Amino acid sequence: MQQARELGLLGENILGSSFGFDVQIVRGGGAFVCGESTALMASLEGKVGEPRPKDVHTVVDGLWHKPTTLNNVETWANVPSIMLNGSAWFASKGSKGSKGTKILALTGHIKNTGLVEVALGTPIHTVLFDIGGGSANGDRIKAVQTGGPSGGCLPADKFHLPIDFEALAEAGSMVGSGGMVVMDEDTCMVDVAKYFLTFLQDESCGKCVPCRLGIDRMLEIITDITEGRGKPEQISLLEELGHTISETALCGLGKTAANPVLSTLRYFRHEYEAHISKKDCPAGVCQALITYEIDPEKCTCCGVCKLACPHEAIIGDKERVHTIDLQLCQQCGICRSECKFEAVQVN
Amino acid sequence: MLQYVTLKIDGAHIRAAKGTSVLDAAIEYGVCIPHLCHVPNLSDIGACRLCIVEHLVNGRSKVTTSCTLRVQEDMVIQSNTERIRKLRRNIAELLVAQAPNSRAIQDIAVRCGVKEVRYPFRNENCVLCGRCVRACSELAGARAIDFVGRGKGRRVDSPFGILSEFCIRCRTCIDLCPMTIMPCNGYMEPGEEHLCGACESQLLFADEVPGFCVECELGEGFQCGRY
Repeated sequence: MQQARELGLLGENILGSSFGFDVQIVRGGGAFVCGESTALMASLEGKVGEPRPKDVHTVVDGLWHKPTTLNNVETWANVPSIMLNGSAWFASKGSKGSKGTKILALTGHIKNTGLVEVALGTPIHTVLFDIGGGSANGDRIKAVQTGGPSGGCLPADKFHLPIDFEALAEAGSMVGSGGMVVMDEDTCMVDVAKYFLTFLQDESCGKCVPCRLGIDRMLEIITDITEGRGKPEQISLLEELGHTISETALCGLGKTAANPVLSTLRYFRHEYEAHISKKDCPAGVCQALITYEIDPEKCTCCGVCKLACPHEAIIGDKERVHTIDLQLCQQCGICRSECKFEAVQVN
Repeated sequence: MLQYVTLKIDGAHIRAAKGTSVLDAAIEYGVCIPHLCHVPNLSDIGACRLCIVEHLVNGRSKVTTSCTLRVQEDMVIQSNTERIRKLRRNIAELLVAQAPNSRAIQDIAVRCGVKEVRYPFRNENCVLCGRCVRACSELAGARAIDFVGRGKGRRVDSPFGILSEFCIRCRTCIDLCPMTIMPCNGYMEPGEEHLCGACESQLLFADEVPGFCVECELGEGFQCGRY
Protein backbone atom coordinates (compact mmCIF):
# COMPACT_ATOMS: atom_id res chain seq x y z
CA MET A 1 0.00 0.00 0.00
CA GLN A 2 2.89 2.31 0.81
CA GLN A 3 4.30 1.59 -2.66
CA ALA A 4 0.91 2.15 -4.30
CA ARG A 5 0.66 5.52 -2.56
CA GLU A 6 4.15 6.52 -3.65
CA LEU A 7 3.29 5.60 -7.26
CA GLY A 8 0.12 7.68 -7.00
CA LEU A 9 -2.20 4.69 -7.43
CA LEU A 10 -3.97 5.25 -4.11
CA GLY A 11 -5.26 8.35 -2.43
CA GLU A 12 -6.45 11.65 -3.93
CA ASN A 13 -6.08 12.46 -7.65
CA ILE A 14 -5.00 9.02 -8.81
CA LEU A 15 -2.57 9.30 -11.76
CA GLY A 16 -3.34 12.97 -12.07
CA SER A 17 -7.09 12.45 -12.49
CA SER A 18 -9.80 13.87 -10.26
CA PHE A 19 -10.58 10.36 -9.00
CA GLY A 20 -9.70 9.49 -5.45
CA PHE A 21 -9.69 6.06 -3.84
CA ASP A 22 -8.07 4.77 -0.69
CA VAL A 23 -7.64 1.51 1.17
CA GLN A 24 -7.40 1.16 4.92
CA ILE A 25 -6.48 -1.99 6.79
CA VAL A 26 -8.19 -2.57 10.12
CA ARG A 27 -7.18 -5.26 12.54
CA GLY A 28 -10.06 -7.68 13.12
CA GLY A 29 -11.78 -8.44 16.38
CA GLY A 30 -10.01 -11.77 16.54
CA ALA A 31 -13.10 -13.93 16.76
CA PHE A 32 -14.49 -16.39 14.22
CA VAL A 33 -17.89 -14.69 14.46
CA CYS A 34 -16.31 -11.35 13.45
CA GLY A 35 -16.22 -12.75 9.91
CA GLU A 36 -20.02 -12.66 9.87
CA SER A 37 -21.10 -9.58 7.91
CA THR A 38 -22.90 -7.56 10.60
CA ALA A 39 -20.54 -8.66 13.38
CA LEU A 40 -17.64 -7.61 11.16
CA MET A 41 -19.17 -4.18 10.76
CA ALA A 42 -19.86 -3.87 14.49
CA SER A 43 -16.25 -4.82 15.07
CA LEU A 44 -15.06 -2.17 12.57
CA GLU A 45 -17.14 0.42 14.39
CA GLY A 46 -15.33 -0.45 17.59
CA LYS A 47 -18.31 -2.26 19.12
CA VAL A 48 -18.51 -5.80 20.43
CA GLY A 49 -18.30 -8.22 17.49
CA GLU A 50 -21.86 -9.46 17.63
CA PRO A 51 -24.22 -9.97 14.71
CA ARG A 52 -27.47 -8.04 14.53
CA PRO A 53 -30.70 -9.16 12.86
CA LYS A 54 -30.47 -8.76 9.10
CA ASP A 55 -34.03 -7.89 8.15
CA VAL A 56 -32.46 -4.73 6.78
CA HIS A 57 -29.58 -5.75 4.53
CA THR A 58 -26.12 -4.27 4.87
CA VAL A 59 -26.28 -2.92 1.31
CA VAL A 60 -29.01 -0.62 2.64
CA ASP A 61 -27.84 -0.03 6.20
CA GLY A 62 -24.34 -1.27 6.96
CA LEU A 63 -21.13 0.19 8.34
CA TRP A 64 -21.81 3.47 10.19
CA HIS A 65 -25.44 3.07 8.98
CA LYS A 66 -24.34 3.66 5.40
CA PRO A 67 -24.88 1.38 2.41
CA THR A 68 -22.01 -1.08 2.43
CA THR A 69 -20.68 -3.63 0.00
CA LEU A 70 -18.87 -6.46 1.68
CA ASN A 71 -16.51 -8.81 -0.14
CA ASN A 72 -13.55 -10.84 0.90
CA VAL A 73 -10.03 -10.40 -0.41
CA GLU A 74 -10.33 -13.37 -2.74
CA THR A 75 -13.29 -11.73 -4.49
CA TRP A 76 -11.49 -8.37 -4.81
CA ALA A 77 -8.45 -10.16 -6.20
CA ASN A 78 -10.63 -11.40 -9.07
CA VAL A 79 -11.76 -7.90 -10.02
CA PRO A 80 -8.60 -6.68 -11.84
CA SER A 81 -8.47 -9.72 -14.11
CA ILE A 82 -12.18 -9.38 -14.90
CA MET A 83 -11.64 -5.69 -15.73
CA LEU A 84 -8.71 -6.57 -17.99
CA ASN A 85 -10.14 -9.64 -19.70
CA GLY A 86 -13.86 -9.06 -19.55
CA SER A 87 -16.69 -10.87 -17.86
CA ALA A 88 -17.05 -13.45 -20.65
CA TRP A 89 -13.49 -14.61 -20.00
CA PHE A 90 -14.23 -15.01 -16.27
CA ALA A 91 -17.54 -16.76 -16.89
CA SER A 92 -15.85 -19.23 -19.28
CA LYS A 93 -14.30 -20.85 -16.23
CA GLY A 94 -16.36 -22.68 -13.68
CA SER A 95 -19.65 -24.56 -13.82
CA LYS A 96 -23.15 -23.53 -14.82
CA GLY A 97 -24.13 -21.81 -11.59
CA SER A 98 -20.71 -21.06 -10.13
CA LYS A 99 -18.31 -19.09 -12.28
CA GLY A 100 -14.62 -18.51 -11.90
CA THR A 101 -12.03 -20.20 -9.75
CA LYS A 102 -11.68 -20.97 -6.06
CA ILE A 103 -8.63 -21.33 -3.87
CA LEU A 104 -8.77 -24.48 -1.77
CA ALA A 105 -6.67 -25.27 1.29
CA LEU A 106 -5.80 -28.96 1.17
CA THR A 107 -4.83 -30.43 4.49
CA GLY A 108 -5.16 -33.52 6.64
CA HIS A 109 -4.18 -37.06 5.67
CA ILE A 110 -3.09 -36.18 2.16
CA LYS A 111 0.26 -36.32 0.41
CA ASN A 112 0.39 -32.82 -1.08
CA THR A 113 -0.95 -30.25 1.34
CA GLY A 114 -1.22 -26.56 0.57
CA LEU A 115 -3.21 -24.01 -1.39
CA VAL A 116 -4.51 -24.84 -4.87
CA GLU A 117 -6.60 -22.76 -7.22
CA VAL A 118 -9.05 -24.72 -9.35
CA ALA A 119 -11.95 -23.81 -11.60
CA LEU A 120 -15.26 -24.18 -9.78
CA GLY A 121 -16.94 -27.36 -10.92
CA THR A 122 -13.76 -29.46 -10.68
CA PRO A 123 -14.70 -32.83 -9.16
CA ILE A 124 -13.54 -33.51 -5.61
CA HIS A 125 -11.58 -36.61 -6.63
CA THR A 126 -9.51 -34.59 -9.14
CA VAL A 127 -8.44 -32.30 -6.31
CA LEU A 128 -7.81 -35.15 -3.88
CA PHE A 129 -6.02 -37.63 -6.13
CA ASP A 130 -4.63 -35.73 -9.15
CA ILE A 131 -3.56 -32.63 -7.26
CA GLY A 132 -3.35 -33.89 -3.70
CA GLY A 133 -1.69 -37.16 -4.68
CA GLY A 134 -3.96 -39.39 -2.60
CA SER A 135 -3.70 -40.21 1.07
CA ALA A 136 -0.47 -39.62 2.95
CA ASN A 137 0.11 -43.18 4.13
CA GLY A 138 -1.64 -45.13 1.37
CA ASP A 139 -4.80 -45.79 3.40
CA ARG A 140 -8.19 -45.36 1.83
CA ILE A 141 -9.54 -41.80 2.12
CA LYS A 142 -12.77 -42.03 4.06
CA ALA A 143 -14.13 -38.51 4.00
CA VAL A 144 -13.35 -34.91 3.22
CA GLN A 145 -14.56 -31.95 5.24
CA THR A 146 -15.14 -28.95 2.99
CA GLY A 147 -15.85 -25.33 3.79
CA GLY A 148 -14.16 -24.84 7.14
CA PRO A 149 -15.41 -25.60 10.65
CA SER A 150 -19.06 -25.12 9.78
CA GLY A 151 -18.90 -27.07 6.55
CA GLY A 152 -19.87 -30.69 6.19
CA CYS A 153 -18.14 -34.05 5.83
CA LEU A 154 -18.57 -35.82 2.50
CA PRO A 155 -17.96 -39.56 2.17
CA ALA A 156 -15.88 -41.27 -0.55
CA ASP A 157 -18.93 -42.05 -2.68
CA LYS A 158 -19.59 -38.31 -3.07
CA PHE A 159 -16.10 -37.56 -4.42
CA HIS A 160 -17.51 -37.41 -7.95
CA LEU A 161 -19.36 -34.22 -6.99
CA PRO A 162 -18.15 -31.00 -8.60
CA ILE A 163 -16.82 -28.34 -6.23
CA ASP A 164 -19.44 -25.67 -6.80
CA PHE A 165 -21.89 -23.86 -4.58
CA GLU A 166 -25.04 -25.74 -5.56
CA ALA A 167 -23.67 -29.30 -5.58
CA LEU A 168 -21.95 -29.04 -2.22
CA ALA A 169 -24.92 -27.30 -0.58
CA GLU A 170 -27.18 -30.05 -1.87
CA ALA A 171 -24.88 -32.68 -0.37
CA GLY A 172 -25.08 -30.94 3.04
CA SER A 173 -21.77 -29.15 2.92
CA MET A 174 -20.53 -25.91 1.40
CA VAL A 175 -17.67 -24.29 -0.51
CA GLY A 176 -17.31 -21.79 2.32
CA SER A 177 -13.74 -20.80 3.06
CA GLY A 178 -12.39 -23.40 0.63
CA GLY A 179 -10.85 -25.54 3.35
CA MET A 180 -10.57 -29.24 2.55
CA VAL A 181 -9.64 -31.49 5.44
CA VAL A 182 -8.92 -35.00 4.20
CA MET A 183 -9.57 -37.87 6.58
CA ASP A 184 -8.50 -41.51 6.25
CA GLU A 185 -9.81 -44.69 7.90
CA ASP A 186 -8.19 -43.85 11.24
CA THR A 187 -10.58 -40.95 11.76
CA CYS A 188 -13.71 -41.32 13.87
CA MET A 189 -16.47 -39.21 12.35
CA VAL A 190 -18.23 -38.73 15.69
CA ASP A 191 -14.97 -37.42 17.09
CA VAL A 192 -14.63 -35.08 14.09
CA ALA A 193 -18.12 -33.68 14.72
CA LYS A 194 -17.20 -33.24 18.38
CA TYR A 195 -14.00 -31.41 17.47
CA PHE A 196 -15.76 -28.90 15.21
CA LEU A 197 -18.59 -28.40 17.70
CA THR A 198 -16.09 -27.61 20.44
CA PHE A 199 -14.54 -24.99 18.17
CA LEU A 200 -17.92 -23.49 17.28
CA GLN A 201 -19.03 -23.42 20.90
CA ASP A 202 -15.92 -21.44 21.80
CA GLU A 203 -16.46 -19.07 18.91
CA SER A 204 -20.22 -18.51 19.20
CA CYS A 205 -20.92 -15.01 20.45
CA GLY A 206 -23.64 -16.36 22.75
CA LYS A 207 -26.26 -13.80 21.80
CA CYS A 208 -29.06 -16.01 20.54
CA VAL A 209 -30.53 -19.03 22.27
CA PRO A 210 -30.39 -21.69 19.52
CA CYS A 211 -26.69 -21.12 18.87
CA ARG A 212 -25.54 -20.73 22.47
CA LEU A 213 -27.64 -23.42 24.13
CA GLY A 214 -28.17 -25.56 21.05
CA ILE A 215 -24.47 -26.09 20.27
CA ASP A 216 -23.87 -26.66 23.96
CA ARG A 217 -26.53 -29.38 24.10
CA MET A 218 -25.35 -30.98 20.86
CA LEU A 219 -21.84 -31.12 22.27
CA GLU A 220 -23.20 -32.58 25.50
CA ILE A 221 -24.98 -35.35 23.58
CA ILE A 222 -21.98 -36.09 21.34
CA THR A 223 -19.69 -36.23 24.36
CA ASP A 224 -22.10 -38.73 25.91
CA ILE A 225 -21.95 -40.80 22.73
CA THR A 226 -18.15 -40.78 22.50
CA GLU A 227 -17.84 -41.70 26.16
CA GLY A 228 -20.19 -44.65 26.00
CA ARG A 229 -23.26 -43.10 27.62
CA GLY A 230 -25.17 -42.62 24.37
CA LYS A 231 -28.78 -43.72 23.95
CA PRO A 232 -30.41 -44.64 20.61
CA GLU A 233 -33.02 -41.87 20.86
CA GLN A 234 -30.25 -39.27 21.08
CA ILE A 235 -29.55 -39.65 17.34
CA SER A 236 -32.97 -38.34 16.37
CA LEU A 237 -32.72 -35.65 19.07
CA LEU A 238 -29.40 -34.52 17.58
CA GLU A 239 -30.98 -34.33 14.16
CA GLU A 240 -34.01 -32.41 15.36
CA LEU A 241 -31.86 -30.01 17.38
CA GLY A 242 -29.48 -29.54 14.45
CA HIS A 243 -32.31 -28.58 12.10
CA THR A 244 -33.76 -26.23 14.73
CA ILE A 245 -30.44 -24.42 15.10
CA SER A 246 -30.00 -24.16 11.30
CA GLU A 247 -33.42 -22.64 10.84
CA THR A 248 -33.65 -20.29 13.78
CA ALA A 249 -30.18 -19.02 14.65
CA LEU A 250 -29.52 -15.31 14.27
CA CYS A 251 -26.46 -15.34 12.04
CA GLY A 252 -24.47 -17.42 9.60
CA LEU A 253 -22.37 -19.00 12.32
CA GLY A 254 -25.41 -20.50 14.04
CA LYS A 255 -27.20 -21.36 10.81
CA THR A 256 -24.27 -23.52 9.70
CA ALA A 257 -23.07 -24.70 13.10
CA ALA A 258 -25.03 -27.93 12.89
CA ASN A 259 -23.49 -28.90 9.53
CA PRO A 260 -20.66 -31.02 10.96
CA VAL A 261 -23.19 -33.02 12.97
CA LEU A 262 -25.92 -33.21 10.33
CA SER A 263 -23.55 -34.23 7.54
CA THR A 264 -21.82 -36.92 9.60
CA LEU A 265 -25.23 -38.17 10.74
CA ARG A 266 -26.32 -38.29 7.11
CA TYR A 267 -23.31 -40.18 5.74
CA PHE A 268 -21.78 -41.92 8.74
CA ARG A 269 -24.81 -42.78 10.83
CA HIS A 270 -23.48 -46.33 11.28
CA GLU A 271 -20.55 -44.92 13.24
CA TYR A 272 -22.89 -43.14 15.65
CA GLU A 273 -24.90 -46.34 15.97
CA ALA A 274 -21.78 -48.40 16.69
CA HIS A 275 -20.80 -45.96 19.45
CA ILE A 276 -24.25 -46.22 20.99
CA SER A 277 -25.37 -49.81 20.59
CA LYS A 278 -22.04 -51.68 20.54
CA LYS A 279 -20.16 -49.15 22.69
CA ASP A 280 -17.45 -49.38 20.08
CA CYS A 281 -15.49 -46.80 18.15
CA PRO A 282 -14.87 -48.38 14.70
CA ALA A 283 -11.89 -46.13 13.99
CA GLY A 284 -10.35 -46.72 17.42
CA VAL A 285 -10.24 -43.06 18.38
CA CYS A 286 -12.72 -42.43 21.21
CA GLN A 287 -10.70 -43.14 24.32
CA ALA A 288 -13.53 -44.29 26.56
CA LEU A 289 -14.63 -46.97 24.11
CA ILE A 290 -11.34 -48.62 23.20
CA THR A 291 -8.83 -50.85 24.92
CA TYR A 292 -5.24 -51.45 23.90
CA GLU A 293 -3.78 -54.93 23.79
CA ILE A 294 -0.30 -56.26 23.05
CA ASP A 295 -0.10 -59.14 20.59
CA PRO A 296 2.21 -61.67 22.33
CA GLU A 297 3.24 -63.09 18.93
CA LYS A 298 4.59 -59.77 17.70
CA CYS A 299 6.01 -58.40 20.96
CA THR A 300 9.81 -58.59 21.04
CA CYS A 301 10.04 -57.61 24.73
CA CYS A 302 12.08 -54.53 23.73
CA GLY A 303 10.59 -52.40 26.52
CA VAL A 304 10.12 -49.26 24.41
CA CYS A 305 6.40 -49.07 25.14
CA LYS A 306 7.01 -49.67 28.82
CA LEU A 307 9.41 -46.73 28.98
CA ALA A 308 7.08 -44.52 26.99
CA CYS A 309 3.91 -45.22 28.97
CA PRO A 310 3.19 -42.17 31.17
CA HIS A 311 0.80 -44.17 33.34
CA GLU A 312 3.10 -47.13 34.07
CA ALA A 313 0.39 -49.42 32.79
CA ILE A 314 2.68 -51.83 30.92
CA ILE A 315 3.94 -54.91 32.71
CA GLY A 316 6.78 -57.12 31.46
CA ASP A 317 10.56 -57.21 31.14
CA LYS A 318 13.26 -58.38 28.78
CA GLU A 319 12.25 -62.04 29.15
CA ARG A 320 8.53 -61.61 29.59
CA VAL A 321 6.08 -60.60 26.86
CA HIS A 322 4.57 -57.21 27.71
CA THR A 323 0.95 -56.83 28.75
CA ILE A 324 -1.19 -53.79 29.47
CA ASP A 325 -2.83 -53.31 32.84
CA LEU A 326 -6.29 -52.14 31.75
CA GLN A 327 -6.95 -50.64 35.18
CA LEU A 328 -4.05 -48.23 34.81
CA CYS A 329 -4.25 -47.68 31.04
CA GLN A 330 -5.61 -44.25 30.06
CA GLN A 331 -5.90 -45.10 26.33
CA CYS A 332 -3.49 -42.36 25.33
CA GLY A 333 -2.11 -44.46 22.46
CA ILE A 334 1.54 -43.53 23.07
CA CYS A 335 2.57 -47.22 23.30
CA ARG A 336 0.99 -47.86 19.94
CA SER A 337 2.79 -45.03 18.24
CA GLU A 338 6.10 -45.99 19.88
CA CYS A 339 5.97 -49.73 19.03
CA LYS A 340 8.01 -50.49 15.92
CA PHE A 341 6.58 -54.00 15.52
CA GLU A 342 2.90 -53.07 15.40
CA ALA A 343 2.32 -55.29 18.41
CA VAL A 344 -0.02 -52.86 20.17
CA GLN A 345 -3.54 -53.22 18.84
CA VAL A 346 -6.76 -51.33 19.40
CA ASN A 347 -9.92 -53.19 20.27
CA MET B 1 -48.45 12.20 10.18
CA LEU B 2 -48.45 8.49 10.87
CA GLN B 3 -48.48 6.34 7.79
CA TYR B 4 -50.21 3.01 7.89
CA VAL B 5 -49.64 -0.23 6.04
CA THR B 6 -51.85 -3.28 5.76
CA LEU B 7 -50.38 -6.73 6.19
CA LYS B 8 -51.68 -10.21 6.66
CA ILE B 9 -50.86 -12.14 9.82
CA ASP B 10 -52.26 -15.66 9.98
CA GLY B 11 -54.82 -14.69 7.35
CA ALA B 12 -56.09 -11.65 9.24
CA HIS B 13 -55.75 -8.23 7.61
CA ILE B 14 -53.99 -6.01 10.06
CA ARG B 15 -53.40 -2.29 9.82
CA ALA B 16 -50.29 -1.07 11.54
CA ALA B 17 -48.29 2.12 11.69
CA LYS B 18 -45.17 2.18 9.54
CA GLY B 19 -42.08 1.40 11.57
CA THR B 20 -43.72 -0.90 14.10
CA SER B 21 -42.52 -4.47 14.34
CA VAL B 22 -44.59 -7.42 13.20
CA LEU B 23 -44.60 -8.70 16.77
CA ASP B 24 -46.05 -5.46 18.16
CA ALA B 25 -48.67 -5.35 15.42
CA ALA B 26 -49.62 -8.97 16.09
CA ILE B 27 -49.88 -8.48 19.85
CA GLU B 28 -51.98 -5.36 19.39
CA TYR B 29 -54.47 -7.36 17.36
CA GLY B 30 -54.44 -10.29 19.76
CA VAL B 31 -52.37 -12.69 17.69
CA CYS B 32 -50.37 -14.53 20.32
CA ILE B 33 -46.70 -14.89 19.42
CA PRO B 34 -44.68 -16.09 22.43
CA HIS B 35 -41.66 -13.91 23.19
CA LEU B 36 -39.10 -13.48 25.92
CA CYS B 37 -36.45 -10.90 25.11
CA HIS B 38 -38.95 -8.41 23.66
CA VAL B 39 -40.16 -5.75 26.09
CA PRO B 40 -42.46 -2.96 24.85
CA ASN B 41 -40.57 0.33 24.37
CA LEU B 42 -37.16 -1.30 24.49
CA SER B 43 -35.04 -1.96 21.40
CA ASP B 44 -35.26 -5.48 20.00
CA ILE B 45 -32.18 -7.65 19.65
CA GLY B 46 -33.72 -10.91 18.43
CA ALA B 47 -31.87 -13.00 21.00
CA CYS B 48 -34.43 -15.48 22.32
CA ARG B 49 -35.73 -16.46 18.84
CA LEU B 50 -39.10 -17.47 20.32
CA CYS B 51 -41.08 -14.95 18.30
CA ILE B 52 -40.08 -16.57 14.99
CA VAL B 53 -42.63 -16.42 12.19
CA GLU B 54 -42.73 -17.48 8.57
CA HIS B 55 -42.41 -14.53 6.23
CA LEU B 56 -43.60 -15.35 2.73
CA VAL B 57 -41.50 -13.60 0.09
CA ASN B 58 -42.04 -14.44 -3.59
CA GLY B 59 -43.66 -17.75 -2.69
CA ARG B 60 -40.77 -18.79 -0.47
CA SER B 61 -41.11 -18.80 3.28
CA LYS B 62 -38.33 -17.46 5.42
CA VAL B 63 -38.10 -18.07 9.16
CA THR B 64 -37.29 -14.84 10.95
CA THR B 65 -37.95 -13.16 14.29
CA SER B 66 -41.04 -10.97 14.26
CA CYS B 67 -39.63 -8.53 16.82
CA THR B 68 -36.94 -7.33 14.43
CA LEU B 69 -39.09 -7.46 11.30
CA ARG B 70 -40.72 -4.12 10.40
CA VAL B 71 -44.21 -4.15 8.91
CA GLN B 72 -44.47 -3.56 5.16
CA GLU B 73 -47.37 -3.14 2.82
CA ASP B 74 -48.88 -6.48 1.68
CA MET B 75 -46.56 -8.53 3.83
CA VAL B 76 -47.71 -12.11 4.47
CA ILE B 77 -46.82 -13.55 7.86
CA GLN B 78 -47.68 -16.90 9.36
CA SER B 79 -47.05 -17.23 13.05
CA ASN B 80 -48.56 -20.57 13.88
CA THR B 81 -47.66 -23.15 11.26
CA GLU B 82 -46.62 -26.69 12.11
CA ARG B 83 -43.01 -25.84 11.22
CA ILE B 84 -42.91 -22.75 13.44
CA ARG B 85 -44.58 -24.55 16.35
CA LYS B 86 -41.96 -27.30 16.22
CA LEU B 87 -39.00 -24.91 16.05
CA ARG B 88 -40.45 -22.79 18.83
CA ARG B 89 -41.04 -25.84 20.99
CA ASN B 90 -37.42 -26.93 20.55
CA ILE B 91 -36.12 -23.48 21.52
CA ALA B 92 -38.40 -23.31 24.56
CA GLU B 93 -37.22 -26.77 25.56
CA LEU B 94 -33.60 -25.55 25.49
CA LEU B 95 -34.56 -22.58 27.66
CA VAL B 96 -36.50 -24.50 30.27
CA ALA B 97 -33.78 -27.14 30.53
CA GLN B 98 -31.35 -24.33 31.25
CA ALA B 99 -33.48 -22.49 33.80
CA PRO B 100 -36.35 -24.55 35.22
CA ASN B 101 -36.51 -22.37 38.32
CA SER B 102 -38.45 -19.56 36.72
CA ARG B 103 -42.17 -19.44 36.32
CA ALA B 104 -41.77 -17.16 33.32
CA ILE B 105 -39.60 -19.69 31.50
CA GLN B 106 -41.87 -22.55 32.53
CA ASP B 107 -44.88 -20.65 31.25
CA ILE B 108 -43.15 -19.99 27.95
CA ALA B 109 -42.29 -23.67 27.63
CA VAL B 110 -45.86 -24.65 28.33
CA ARG B 111 -47.22 -22.05 25.93
CA CYS B 112 -44.87 -23.36 23.22
CA GLY B 113 -46.12 -26.89 23.78
CA VAL B 114 -43.15 -28.44 25.54
CA LYS B 115 -44.41 -31.69 27.06
CA GLU B 116 -41.12 -33.27 28.06
CA VAL B 117 -37.57 -32.03 28.44
CA ARG B 118 -35.05 -34.30 26.75
CA TYR B 119 -31.94 -32.63 28.14
CA PRO B 120 -30.58 -32.79 31.69
CA PHE B 121 -31.78 -29.79 33.73
CA ARG B 122 -29.16 -27.20 34.66
CA ASN B 123 -30.64 -24.68 37.12
CA GLU B 124 -28.86 -21.65 35.68
CA ASN B 125 -30.08 -18.35 37.07
CA CYS B 126 -29.84 -16.32 33.86
CA VAL B 127 -30.96 -17.05 30.30
CA LEU B 128 -29.26 -13.94 28.85
CA CYS B 129 -32.45 -12.44 27.43
CA GLY B 130 -30.79 -9.05 27.85
CA ARG B 131 -33.87 -7.29 29.20
CA CYS B 132 -31.91 -5.87 32.13
CA VAL B 133 -29.07 -4.68 29.92
CA ARG B 134 -31.38 -2.79 27.58
CA ALA B 135 -33.56 -1.45 30.41
CA CYS B 136 -30.46 -0.13 32.13
CA SER B 137 -29.24 1.80 29.13
CA GLU B 138 -32.55 2.74 27.50
CA LEU B 139 -34.93 3.30 30.42
CA ALA B 140 -32.63 4.26 33.26
CA GLY B 141 -29.97 5.77 31.03
CA ALA B 142 -27.34 4.36 33.32
CA ARG B 143 -25.45 1.70 31.30
CA ALA B 144 -24.33 0.17 34.56
CA ILE B 145 -24.52 -3.44 33.32
CA ASP B 146 -23.75 -5.14 30.03
CA PHE B 147 -22.89 -8.49 28.56
CA VAL B 148 -19.44 -9.78 29.37
CA GLY B 149 -17.63 -12.66 27.70
CA ARG B 150 -18.46 -14.75 24.67
CA GLY B 151 -20.33 -17.95 23.88
CA LYS B 152 -20.73 -20.25 26.83
CA GLY B 153 -18.94 -17.77 29.10
CA ARG B 154 -21.33 -14.91 28.32
CA ARG B 155 -22.92 -13.31 31.34
CA VAL B 156 -24.40 -10.03 32.51
CA ASP B 157 -22.10 -8.05 34.74
CA SER B 158 -21.08 -4.55 35.71
CA PRO B 159 -17.74 -3.25 34.45
CA PHE B 160 -14.88 -5.25 35.97
CA GLY B 161 -17.37 -6.97 38.26
CA ILE B 162 -17.62 -3.91 40.52
CA LEU B 163 -21.01 -2.26 41.06
CA SER B 164 -20.92 0.72 38.75
CA GLU B 165 -21.29 4.22 40.16
CA PHE B 166 -23.64 4.89 37.25
CA CYS B 167 -26.18 2.54 38.84
CA ILE B 168 -29.03 4.67 40.18
CA ARG B 169 -30.55 1.72 42.05
CA CYS B 170 -33.82 2.09 40.16
CA ARG B 171 -34.34 -1.71 40.16
CA THR B 172 -35.78 -1.63 36.64
CA CYS B 173 -33.48 -4.51 35.74
CA ILE B 174 -34.90 -6.62 38.56
CA ASP B 175 -38.50 -5.75 37.69
CA LEU B 176 -38.02 -6.93 34.13
CA CYS B 177 -35.99 -10.05 34.90
CA PRO B 178 -37.91 -13.23 34.00
CA MET B 179 -35.87 -15.19 36.51
CA THR B 180 -37.19 -13.45 39.61
CA ILE B 181 -40.61 -15.11 39.42
CA MET B 182 -40.61 -18.33 41.41
CA PRO B 183 -42.16 -21.47 39.93
CA CYS B 184 -45.73 -22.09 41.18
CA ASN B 185 -44.63 -24.72 43.68
CA GLY B 186 -41.51 -22.90 44.81
CA TYR B 187 -37.84 -23.39 44.12
CA MET B 188 -36.90 -26.82 42.78
CA GLU B 189 -33.99 -28.68 44.32
CA PRO B 190 -31.39 -30.07 41.91
CA GLY B 191 -32.63 -33.41 40.60
CA GLU B 192 -36.33 -32.70 41.01
CA GLU B 193 -36.85 -30.19 38.22
CA HIS B 194 -40.06 -30.63 36.27
CA LEU B 195 -42.51 -28.75 34.13
CA CYS B 196 -45.33 -27.29 36.17
CA GLY B 197 -48.48 -29.37 35.92
CA ALA B 198 -50.72 -26.50 36.96
CA CYS B 199 -49.49 -24.47 34.01
CA GLU B 200 -49.86 -27.43 31.72
CA SER B 201 -53.58 -27.56 32.37
CA GLN B 202 -53.77 -24.02 31.01
CA LEU B 203 -52.08 -25.28 27.88
CA LEU B 204 -54.94 -27.67 27.22
CA PHE B 205 -57.16 -24.63 27.15
CA ALA B 206 -54.72 -22.69 24.99
CA ASP B 207 -54.42 -25.64 22.60
CA GLU B 208 -58.09 -25.48 21.73
CA VAL B 209 -57.85 -21.90 20.62
CA PRO B 210 -54.36 -21.70 19.20
CA GLY B 211 -52.84 -18.64 17.66
CA PHE B 212 -54.78 -15.81 19.21
CA CYS B 213 -54.71 -14.22 22.61
CA VAL B 214 -57.10 -15.68 25.14
CA GLU B 215 -55.66 -13.48 27.88
CA CYS B 216 -54.29 -16.62 29.51
CA GLU B 217 -52.36 -16.22 32.71
CA LEU B 218 -49.25 -17.58 31.05
CA GLY B 219 -48.64 -14.15 29.54
CA GLU B 220 -48.40 -12.60 32.97
CA GLY B 221 -45.49 -14.88 33.74
CA PHE B 222 -43.39 -13.97 30.74
CA GLN B 223 -44.57 -10.38 30.77
CA CYS B 224 -46.36 -10.62 27.48
CA GLY B 225 -46.89 -7.28 25.78
CA ARG B 226 -50.63 -7.47 26.58
CA TYR B 227 -50.03 -7.52 30.31
